[in-house]
Amino acid sequence: MVEALEGSQALARAVVLCRPGVVAAYPITPQTHIVENISKLVADGVAKLELVSVESEFSAASVAMGAAAAGSRAYTASASQGILLMAEVLFNIAGLRIPLVMHCANRAIGAPLNIWNDQSDSMAVRDAGWIQIYCADNQEAIDSTVQAYRIAERTELPVMVCVDGFTLTHTLEPLEMPSQEQVDGYLPSYRYARSLNVRHPISQGTLVGPDVFPEARHSHHQALLNSIAEIESANADWAAVSGRDGGGLLTVEGDPDAEIGILAIGSTIGTLAEAMDEYPDRPRVRLIKLRVYRPFPINALREACRGLRKLAVIERAFSAGMGGIVGTEVRASVPGVEVYNYAIGLGGRDIPLGIYPRILDAMETGDTGFRILDVDLSKLPEEDR
Amino acid sequence: MSTETHVDIEQLRRRQPRFQGLESGHRACLGCGEALAARLVLESAGPNVMIANATGCLEVFSTAWPESAWRVPWVHSLFENAAAVAAGMEAALKHQGQSAKVLAFAGDGGTFDIGFQAVSGMLERGHNVLFVCFDNEAYMNTGIQRSGSTPHAAVTTTSPAGRERMGKRHLKKDIVSIIAAHHVPYAATATVAYPSDLRKKVRRAIDVDGPSFLHVHSPCPLGWGHDSEKSIAVSRLAVETGLFPIIELERGELTGAMPIRHPKPVTEYLKLQNRFRHLFADDPRAREELEHLQALADYNIEVYGLLGDGPDPLDTSGIDKVYRGGAKWA
Amino acid sequence: MTIYTRGGYALPGSSLAFKTGSWRVQKPRHVHGAAPCHAVCPAGEDAQAWLARVDEGDVQNAWRTLVQANPLPAITGRVCPHPCESACNRGEMDAPVAIHAVERYLGDEAIRHAWDFGVPTPKADAPRVAVVGAGPAGLAAAYHLLKLGLRPTLFDKNPSAGGTCLTAIPSYRLPREVLGAEVEHLLSLPIDYRPRTILGRDVSIEELRADFAATILAPGQQQPRPWSVDGVTPKDLHQGLDLLESWNSLQTAPAPFSAAVVGAGNTAIDVARVLKRAGVTEVHVISHKAKPGPGVPEDDVMPALAREIAEALEEGIHIHEHRGVRRLILRGERVVGVEMVHMKKLRRANGRLSRVAFDGTETVLHCDQVIPAVGQVLDTRGFESLLDAHGWFDLDDVMRVAGQRDVFVAGDAGGNAGTVTAAVGQGRVTAGAVAQLVRGHEPTIEAPRLAVPFSALNVHYHESAPRAEERVLPVAERGESNEVDLGLDRLDVEAEARRCLSCGNCMACDNCWTLCPDSAVLKTREIASDGSHYVFDYDYCKGCGLCAAECPCGYIEMIEDL
Repeated sequence: MVEALEGSQALARAVVLCRPGVVAAYPITPQTHIVENISKLVADGVAKLELVSVESEFSAASVAMGAAAAGSRAYTASASQGILLMAEVLFNIAGLRIPLVMHCANRAIGAPLNIWNDQSDSMAVRDAGWIQIYCADNQEAIDSTVQAYRIAERTELPVMVCVDGFTLTHTLEPLEMPSQEQVDGYLPSYRYARSLNVRHPISQGTLVGPDVFPEARHSHHQALLNSIAEIESANADWAAVSGRDGGGLLTVEGDPDAEIGILAIGSTIGTLAEAMDEYPDRPRVRLIKLRVYRPFPINALREACRGLRKLAVIERAFSAGMGGIVGTEVRASVPGVEVYNYAIGLGGRDIPLGIYPRILDAMETGDTGFRILDVDLSKLPEEDR
Repeated sequence: MSTETHVDIEQLRRRQPRFQGLESGHRACLGCGEALAARLVLESAGPNVMIANATGCLEVFSTAWPESAWRVPWVHSLFENAAAVAAGMEAALKHQGQSAKVLAFAGDGGTFDIGFQAVSGMLERGHNVLFVCFDNEAYMNTGIQRSGSTPHAAVTTTSPAGRERMGKRHLKKDIVSIIAAHHVPYAATATVAYPSDLRKKVRRAIDVDGPSFLHVHSPCPLGWGHDSEKSIAVSRLAVETGLFPIIELERGELTGAMPIRHPKPVTEYLKLQNRFRHLFADDPRAREELEHLQALADYNIEVYGLLGDGPDPLDTSGIDKVYRGGAKWA
Repeated sequence: MTIYTRGGYALPGSSLAFKTGSWRVQKPRHVHGAAPCHAVCPAGEDAQAWLARVDEGDVQNAWRTLVQANPLPAITGRVCPHPCESACNRGEMDAPVAIHAVERYLGDEAIRHAWDFGVPTPKADAPRVAVVGAGPAGLAAAYHLLKLGLRPTLFDKNPSAGGTCLTAIPSYRLPREVLGAEVEHLLSLPIDYRPRTILGRDVSIEELRADFAATILAPGQQQPRPWSVDGVTPKDLHQGLDLLESWNSLQTAPAPFSAAVVGAGNTAIDVARVLKRAGVTEVHVISHKAKPGPGVPEDDVMPALAREIAEALEEGIHIHEHRGVRRLILRGERVVGVEMVHMKKLRRANGRLSRVAFDGTETVLHCDQVIPAVGQVLDTRGFESLLDAHGWFDLDDVMRVAGQRDVFVAGDAGGNAGTVTAAVGQGRVTAGAVAQLVRGHEPTIEAPRLAVPFSALNVHYHESAPRAEERVLPVAERGESNEVDLGLDRLDVEAEARRCLSCGNCMACDNCWTLCPDSAVLKTREIASDGSHYVFDYDYCKGCGLCAAECPCGYIEMIEDL
């Protein structure tokens, strides 16, 4: 059924459709609307779950972790500083192989304080050992939320579903909400093999010495690599149920045969796709929408890049002192393709349709060095430019 | 005299008439008060519990993969989040309609300091969790650094004594009062020196439907600098001097205090421990600190009315009286 | 190789695979040390052991344990000066356990219920052993011989068994029915008892040695020690011992207006109290030593039982302490008084202690009769051939007459018993020596028992508790022969047993089991009652020493274990 919904409201309903037993969260803009909506569903008796309004993001992640370990489907959400505060827990959840799903309502990280959208937060925890899915739009975010639980519980890996703050979370649009029957048919009730249970009292979170630690890390790495198949089948199965293909690992849009490509993640994709139509005099490019960033879908990426000459990687975060994050990884993954790398829209700076020709122009220079494409150096003192 | 035994020890171990929640083979130091305290807590709590354990000695010595000394469901996540993990477990069990009680175990660091916020949140939200703080009064797992629980004037590696300092400059945080100020149904202190009192309090805390808190004085021979066989004696003296009052607080009100029939001077307690050795030097500052510690003990005795009057079977002299057949532990 | 478990989980209790016992440099072990009461008991009783049985609620078993050493507890419980209580570690805390009263209770219960000693009948061809004298030493010897599988024949010159208990101890201290019942209970065992048989008249020592595998002589000391003051004795001298014997058998005693008893031991006090009962108005006791009391050095206290002295004082008897008799004041050959002088034991220049009389402290005590009670000597008739030049038995370590293979001496006759309890102990020791002898071994002596000191206990775990005091008959109700000490009832006896600190032996308090941080102490049954119910699991014991430090009984010691 198609309804006009705010992104956060839709995500809240998607979470509730997955029947979590415990939801724990701490307010932070722009995640707040998601949890507020879940709270209202609980208050109205629609959602039968334990809502734990904790005293920090650290505890939000910890409560969710404890709940999942104790045998309940659990959920949390955060953004920005909140993601950083829960960072220690995020690594821990992954290392314990606890299936958990959270939303990251992507937001910049201060200082300077900034509450608007970029992806510095989720990128900062890309090594936490979680599966990370970046949603291009709210419909995809809904569908990804449902898929995320199936992926998490089958792979015993936590999944972070990243949705751009405000751009998606606060946008009202017509969305198709799955029915409870569809979700129930797709997502079996929660089962976690190592669930804490007084009849089988195992111990979790042991001390592992140098004799086994590399093997532990290897097994985690391998689990993430192996999860690619599970992510693809989760997507395909959901497509069969819902009639919507959420995009698997990545999708190629625009001109699939073009020799020039642009790769982006998150909601930027929509802007770029629209811009291609807006500038008919400029060549259409091969637009690669990278949906799954961890595990990094290297084979799918190479396939998507086959025949490309130049590729611009557009991202909403970067590693200061080095350059792009996604771009650096893509460059290392597609030898033979000339990779350009730009950050745009940091801290919520508007991404106008005109960004498209700017990217193409920048690629014309042949300078593959990273830069913030929409930076206005005139706003900086001379010595800081 | 032969000390060899001819019974099947493995069989016997399985038939012990108590719940062995923390099994042998853990790697705690000799005479570890915390290992004893944890076993006593579980002995009283029984098997229908789950534990969230903060990082620390207890966690490290009990679970060196692939081994675990625990016989109850147990999870260690991080240093500062035991209360939150426990809260999540409790929420999950509540949602599932399960009856197991959730316990959170932490040291003083995980309670007084880094874990304090999560503890406070858990209490405020009213989770049905028993939080047990095994207080060994410093960061022992990292090598004896001072914590908010380290007593005044005690030496640790980060509060050494020297020309300018007499050990820790600050006071021990009054955690149980802070906990009680959350208006929780039950908060109590206990020590390994009085196991029957400890176990009774565990049962009371378990029976509470809501957050409860147990603060267990747990001597650390290595960190406090006393002989391993002195752990009980040291803990007992902490109580008998008034430095560690044994009290119960319900909804913030004092509802129980173990009377000290014959208070001992604090020096009796301090002199057994190297962490206070500098206080016995011929130095006016040392004498002042001894007086200060005595004043702190006197303060506790006065505030909690620890002197009592007349013999009381539950005072420091009566509560651990031995009986043939071990009846006192019943 | 252990395969990594997903997330690094571990199975419950799997730490048992890690044997922390390898860390250990010392280990605990159980050591059953002798409780002080046991170490000092002349009869060899382990009071701690039978108090433990009482504490367990099994009074019959307690008696059974007691009679492993002493078959006459109803008697010794009444008359023994109980060195066990003087040695009792509990005395350092509050007051000693009233061991004698519990012993007496057990003895009385055994008589009341006719409990079986559990001594098997010896084989018909078991070696026969002669025991001469059916006093405490002889009775104990016969009993222990029986226990050891031998066949005792017990000779006594009197119609009734009991020896000194019968002749010298007044019935207000030891009622005749108790004495008779306990002796009879003992003689109901298969002991060949031959009363009215006098050595040297009815049977000779040579005949005994020919007919029996060994002989134990226990004739006691029935002769009063000769007494005079500078060679002067009054004409109508009554010896204290004779006076007691005639009182005990005939209820007759001289009854002058006033009498002075010379002596400080139990006989002196007994004589004084008997005189009082016989109607003497003024009874004096003249003692070299002091009355018991706080601050009086142990070696300066009158050897009589403290409670007997207290009761004598209650009854109006005057005790003149630190006094000696310097002169008898005679009118003709009749005594009208004694001249007393202050005396004290002092260390002389040569380092020896000796009594010193202080000139100028003489006083006169008017009295109609002087009765010496200064000790007894051996009646040597019948075994003159076995005595040394001084008229004494010369005994070796196992109480065997020097140079004689098969003749042993027990009790007062040997010269170093002095109490009923010591006599019982010597009966036991000689019986043991005889058993070794007849089985072809050279008799050996028991190793002395080292008492567990108070400092070895962790008394923190014991609460101060008042000692149960025996009820004492009021003076007005004592009459001629009513028993004065009324003993303890069952509740008091149990309370006293609970007061026992269980020195050197496990009291099953569970401290070690409870307080081991490594759970390396295991119980072999749900409710333990002694040390046999705990074992150390050395696979996990790290040797911290907590069990030993917190053992209230000093039953655990740490030994090197490298």
